[in-house]
Amino acid sequence: MLLSFGNVINTTVNETVIDLYSLLQQHPFKGYIEAVPAYASIAVYYDAVTVRQNNKNGNSAFEWVKQYVLQLMNRLDEKQFHQPQDCIRIPVYYNGEDLEYIAAQHHITVEEVITLHHSKTYRVFMTGFLPGFAYMGMVDEKINTPRKAQPQMHVPAGSVGIAGAQTGIYPLDSPGGWQLIGTTPLQLFDPSATQPCLLKAGDKVQFVPIDKTTFNATNVHRHS
Amino acid sequence: MSIVIHKPGLCTTIQDLGRTGYRSLGIGSNGVMDFFAATAANYLVNNAADTPVIEMHFPAAAMQFQSAAIICIAGADFDAHINGNPVRMFQPIYVRQNDALHFDRIINGARVYIGIHGGLKVQEWMGSSSTHLKLKIGGFHGRMLQKNDVLHLQKNIPDVFLKKIAVATAAIRSMYVPSNIIRCIAGPEWNVLDNTAAQLFMHTTFTVTKYADRMGYRLQGVPLMEENHREMVSSAVSFGTVQLLPNGQVIILMADHQTTGGYPRIAGVITADLPRLAQLPINSSMQFKMIAVAEAEEILLSTHQLLNQLKRGCQQYYEAYRSQL
Repeated sequence: MLLSFGNVINTTVNETVIDLYSLLQQHPFKGYIEAVPAYASIAVYYDAVTVRQNNKNGNSAFEWVKQYVLQLMNRLDEKQFHQPQDCIRIPVYYNGEDLEYIAAQHHITVEEVITLHHSKTYRVFMTGFLPGFAYMGMVDEKINTPRKAQPQMHVPAGSVGIAGAQTGIYPLDSPGGWQLIGTTPLQLFDPSATQPCLLKAGDKVQFVPIDKTTFNATNVHRHS
Repeated sequence: MSIVIHKPGLCTTIQDLGRTGYRSLGIGSNGVMDFFAATAANYLVNNAADTPVIEMHFPAAAMQFQSAAIICIAGADFDAHINGNPVRMFQPIYVRQNDALHFDRIINGARVYIGIHGGLKVQEWMGSSSTHLKLKIGGFHGRMLQKNDVLHLQKNIPDVFLKKIAVATAAIRSMYVPSNIIRCIAGPEWNVLDNTAAQLFMHTTFTVTKYADRMGYRLQGVPLMEENHREMVSSAVSFGTVQLLPNGQVIILMADHQTTGGYPRIAGVITADLPRLAQLPINSSMQFKMIAVAEAEEILLSTHQLLNQLKRGCQQYYEAYRSQL
């Protein structure tokens, strides 16, 4: 089941989505499997058979879950959510192959692109596409650049990119179409860790520029 | 105590009913394409429903049993043979040490499962033994099976003696009478389709193209719409989500799909019909049938009842024969 709050990238809307997600995780119903918060929607996965067995009032499981989620939504106002999240600092060596393209598109210098990118704190709106891939925003209008028309076959893990108003980091080697501006030495996804993903929806992120020496000394990505 | 793979077959993997709870991190569920066949295979060898099974496509793997085991073959009919003799599906089979299993040809369906009494020793990751091919983790070293791989069994010797062969009911087998009607419910962006497009979606026939695998089925039909570049912010998708592509064609997301996507979700295949969809081979034709959510749930309930009956029957059967040991 999907609850949609429109087709927008907006912090207030996304805060509602993530608060609702936290409430659902804290108050799961019988048959609840999991939920996926996105920019402006939340998908609730449930086992319809279990929901029906626990609620023999003749309604469909879909209707029952809908009522349950709507009732949780009403409780969003009662509680003080939006606790300040920790700000995660992510070092970036700005060596991306598309820096010059972005600079040329906006008639600014590569240095300005780099400065504009790391002089803002970003919000993780959602994760998706790849394990641990965080969609962050919003980048300054002066570096807002659409995806490449033709996706690249191979983007190395750790690559930092821009797509429209979004910025993100590839946690794994993958095909991809984002404009690449740099590389982080951090591991965004570690399958052997209890919490395999460094970033999750709702986090705040600050990029910190580093030089090549620091990057090489701390890089965990074998292929970069 | 093990099975040796002599021929790997095409995309042979270890799967269970999937990995849940981590979609919000971008980690999809994976798992079997046909939950009905996998569950039935497990029940027929007296396993829990989510015990890891071997999922195979055609050409399927050829393998040899290094020790006795009780197995069940379910799903697509690929004309299974043990030591050259045809064997039946949807029933427990007692295999002896050195018995060789192979599959001859496609009679129907697209995916076959082998359940093994007691299960296999495979790698569990984030609560599931399903193979995550992209992350190279889970199942058998996170990859498709290769020649000479050795799968270790959890149990040394079957602890039941099969004097009499249990056979799944006609109702179970009837699930595998090939059908190309795929029932679905309206998706969040159903309204992207204008009236003509909606009529085309519901009343024309689609072909499963060769781009049909564990990630998704690309279908070919009359384009539903002219070039459509409706931009959507990314949102969650599921196994069975029917997306409208910019060229007017549709794709159905399957077990290895990504967790989120940006194409309009015009429909969702009902859970109870995912097994039927998983058994549609490349080049087969299919048609969508729209139904209401409540009806989809009723169909799912009856599917579960069928599986529960099978489970109870098998438990009684195994109890009866265990006591005769």
